[in-house]
Amino acid sequence: MDESIQREQQRLTLVSRKPCFGLPTACPSCLPVYIYLKLANVSFDLCYNLTFPDSDQIPYVDSDTYVAYNNEKGGVIESLKEDNIVNLDSEVQNLPEWVSTSAMINSWLSDALLYELWVGSDGSSAHKIYYSDLPWPIGKVLYLKQVYSVKQLLGISKDNSERREEEIYRRATIAYKALSTKLGEDSFFSDNRQVFKPTSLDAIFIGHALITLYALPETSVLRGKLLEQANLVKYADKHKAELLDSASSSSSDPLSSVPRRGPSNSSSKTKSQPKRERTQEEKSFRRKAKYFLITQMVAVLVFLSLLGGSDDTEADDADADEGFDYE
Amino acid sequence: MVEEDKPIPEIDEDEEESSNRDEEEEEDDFDDEDEEESVVTPESRMRAEKARMDGVFRRLSSERVPLRVHDVLIKGNKKTKESIIEAEIEALKTATSVQELLQAATIANARLQKLDIFDSVNITLDSGPPELPGTSNVIVEVVESKNPLTGDIGIFTKPEARSWSLEGSLKFKNLFGYGDLWDGSLSYGWDQTSEVSAGISLPRFMRLLTPVMARVSLLSQDWLKFSSYKEQSLGLSLGLLSTRNHDLAYNLSWRTLTDPSQMASKSIRRQLGHGLLSHLKYTFKIDKRNSTLRPTKGFAFVSGSQLGGLFPDYRSLRFIRQEFDLRYALPLGFARAALNVGVAGGVLFPWGSEFMNRPTSLPDRFFLGGNSSPVCTLGGPTSLLGFKTRGLGPSEPKREVKTNSEAANSDVGERDFLGGDLAVTAFADLSFDLPLKVLRDSNIHAHAFACAGSLTKLTENSFRDFSFQKYKDSFRSSAGFGLIVPTKLFRMEVNYCYILRQHEHDRAKTGVQFSFSSPM
Repeated sequence: MDESIQREQQRLTLVSRKPCFGLPTACPSCLPVYIYLKLANVSFDLCYNLTFPDSDQIPYVDSDTYVAYNNEKGGVIESLKEDNIVNLDSEVQNLPEWVSTSAMINSWLSDALLYELWVGSDGSSAHKIYYSDLPWPIGKVLYLKQVYSVKQLLGISKDNSERREEEIYRRATIAYKALSTKLGEDSFFSDNRQVFKPTSLDAIFIGHALITLYALPETSVLRGKLLEQANLVKYADKHKAELLDSASSSSSDPLSSVPRRGPSNSSSKTKSQPKRERTQEEKSFRRKAKYFLITQMVAVLVFLSLLGGSDDTEADDADADEGFDYE
Repeated sequence: MVEEDKPIPEIDEDEEESSNRDEEEEEDDFDDEDEEESVVTPESRMRAEKARMDGVFRRLSSERVPLRVHDVLIKGNKKTKESIIEAEIEALKTATSVQELLQAATIANARLQKLDIFDSVNITLDSGPPELPGTSNVIVEVVESKNPLTGDIGIFTKPEARSWSLEGSLKFKNLFGYGDLWDGSLSYGWDQTSEVSAGISLPRFMRLLTPVMARVSLLSQDWLKFSSYKEQSLGLSLGLLSTRNHDLAYNLSWRTLTDPSQMASKSIRRQLGHGLLSHLKYTFKIDKRNSTLRPTKGFAFVSGSQLGGLFPDYRSLRFIRQEFDLRYALPLGFARAALNVGVAGGVLFPWGSEFMNRPTSLPDRFFLGGNSSPVCTLGGPTSLLGFKTRGLGPSEPKREVKTNSEAANSDVGERDFLGGDLAVTAFADLSFDLPLKVLRDSNIHAHAFACAGSLTKLTENSFRDFSFQKYKDSFRSSAGFGLIVPTKLFRMEVNYCYILRQHEHDRAKTGVQFSFSSPM
């Protein structure tokens, strides 16, 4: 117990993948850990690893000689719980419903997001999250390797690719509907408890939802399915605003040489929604301006053509005058 | 004409006498010979020949005998392209005297042999066409290797490797007729290194003066015990220039650092991942010592410079690494004794934006320690007797894993050695023969030595705390004596080492130790 208190007093550092798409980290395994630490109000430093996209050790939380890797004891969150460093699930971790919801998110939704990032889309999101800081040849080879291993993991082959895709999306839809029903209008997944406290379930789902909403392209099927559940989208955005956007301006600088892009990204993201409205206004303004100009042009032409006769005579006189002058 | 009927002997270039006979045929007036042949007795013929040879010898040694090469004929090359052979015998065509021609022919023969694609090479000087006096035809006869495939197993040291390795290789000679040598090799090194590589060497590539070599290799090094990481590297290296003293090579490799043990310390954890290494390496070497296994006279100097970050991609590793090594051996005049002294140093620093704050790349750093003798290993600061491999310098505690036993709470933690950016080593070694004759005959001798070294970190603003006193304190030293047994393959030493000065976490031990080195 002394050790764990000592460890809590030592500053924790979370090593995750780089920030992008307006999120402090856009990697599906790193963002839930970040949100979990934020929900627990634990202060920590953020450090980025830009050169190891295929490592299963990342994300990890460390402080001097203590490390909680992602590929041990069921993940970083589980390691932190077991080592008594951060535990939000003490009241719920034995409730069967909580466990099965948690398992559903960690299998169906996690697989769906994995599929969407690597196989279902053109890979531009994955490239930006994982390979944008590696030299091109290395990034390309690692990307192809990862696509292959994801297909192996999800059991996708040339023959069953369509069937598997359908199955993955169907399961994701079922999961979203169930979660939407379970959440209702609450601020956290409560499991019929009297007290509304966040648990790791919230952290994992918020992480999944934010990446699905912001990191995937607009044409993504999975994103479309999530957007159908309005209360889930509201829930994710609300926590994003509370945890990520406000925190980004107050938390300490990350311990890496990569300049912190959090604040600028979040401000650009808040601007993006007004931007969408502005472009609508702009479009209508431009349309009106175009009509106005066209009508003006028409009026001028009509004026000129109507007065064209008198103009011509005037022009002739002018010519005649000129002729006189000339002579 | 009579002279055409006379047999034209084939010659080995070392035998000047036979070549003189050829010169004789071209030089002398054939009418004279006709007249002399009318006197038939064999003894008188022999005397006349001898007199003639003496005369020619005298002429050759005293005056310049003019001669011009009319034509060069190449025979025996079924696969090899003529251009390759012609490139090696360029000098023959421009010879203007007999002496020059002989010298050029010797050199051309040696160069053709060095291509390593012929079983035998013969250069014959024949008389030129009869209507052109004072000319000669040169005939180059080569016999191509019947078996283009050769295999070999041996113990080698490569200049890049810091220790020796057991290597097996297969060579395929002259596949396309351009003198190309293809080889594939598998090697396993003393420091847990294993490498699979394939290479090609071209003697003539686009008019470059020296052979060009290209090598693709997959290298794997295991440093888990010392620094908790494993290094894997897939690389392409091009040898651009390689002469006796200069060597220029370009290397492009994809390097990955991993930690399968999951026990790495903090600094090592932050360095794991992939990297693209693109560097140009220039080595200048001059070795005037009389022996590499037991130098007793002479000096040697090696300077290696590496410039990393040449790939157009700004994300490749950028650094400058410079190391040098200076040795001197002074003979003491008794019992084949000699005093060997040496000093070596190296510095590494990154360049690019914010280079002061960034750490250097872990595998490129300097590491001191190990069991190799400083007398034999030439090539930068590497060894310090008495200290284990990678046994000194900046270190950090490894990860602590909570176990059920009490041992987890103890203070004795394993440490990772991180290497340093500035390394300096110096040594002095007095070697001498032992009084027993049987030991003297097998070259077994004794030595007494003293060495000192220091390894420090410069980057990440450490240089701000740098002070001369602190630097002096960072030196470690050891001294001792021992017995050296040189064998054909390597040099074995049995030493008693006493550590004079070490730092708290260094891995050093006072006592008897064995050391193996291979001459580099």
